[in-house]
Amino acid sequence: MTLGASQVRNDVRERRVAKGLSQADLAQRLDVSRQTINSIETDRYTPSLPLAIAIARFFGMTVEEIFHADHN
Amino acid sequence: MQTTIKTSRKYLATPIFGVAMGVAYLVALSVAGQPVWGVLALAVMVAFSGALLLARRRSETVKGLLDHRDERISAIDLRATAITALALIAVILVAFVVQIARGQSGWPYSMLGFVGGVTYVVTVICLRIRG
Repeated sequence: MTLGASQVRNDVRERRVAKGLSQADLAQRLDVSRQTINSIETDRYTPSLPLAIAIARFFGMTVEEIFHADHN
Repeated sequence: MQTTIKTSRKYLATPIFGVAMGVAYLVALSVAGQPVWGVLALAVMVAFSGALLLARRRSETVKGLLDHRDERISAIDLRATAITALALIAVILVAFVVQIARGQSGWPYSMLGFVGGVTYVVTVICLRIRG
């Protein structure tokens, strides 16, 4: 997702796989659809701040450790 | 607990609105002396609402559109609604121009355009105040 001059990448897929969870499992834990998890993992959708915080908390990390803003 | 109940029933809003519109069609067509068409219109709206509830069990997208719990699907809904509004605005403007070019008053497209314009301005002001 393009945000001005920067692009946000994330490590959600790596963290999810490391925990042995499917996209459906993670979606259920976060109360979103599996499609949304897939879109986030493939960088087609940048989550809102509340959802990004929920994802980070779920993995026991900070938002900055999972989401990375690449400035062009 | 109340929040959970409120949230769990939120998906019923659109189907209930659909049935309510069906009842409105029935009443309007009955008043117009066409009760059979009214019953048919109600049946179509009940079937549409029922189809939505059934589709909700199989489709994440329909589920998200009905309960608005998924922020991405809610954003898609918002954008789709905005594009729909743009299409309607374009039709209204073209129809208005065609009507006045034919020497007609422009009614009802002038009123539709007026309502749309006022709604947009008031909404922008309200949303700016809310921050």
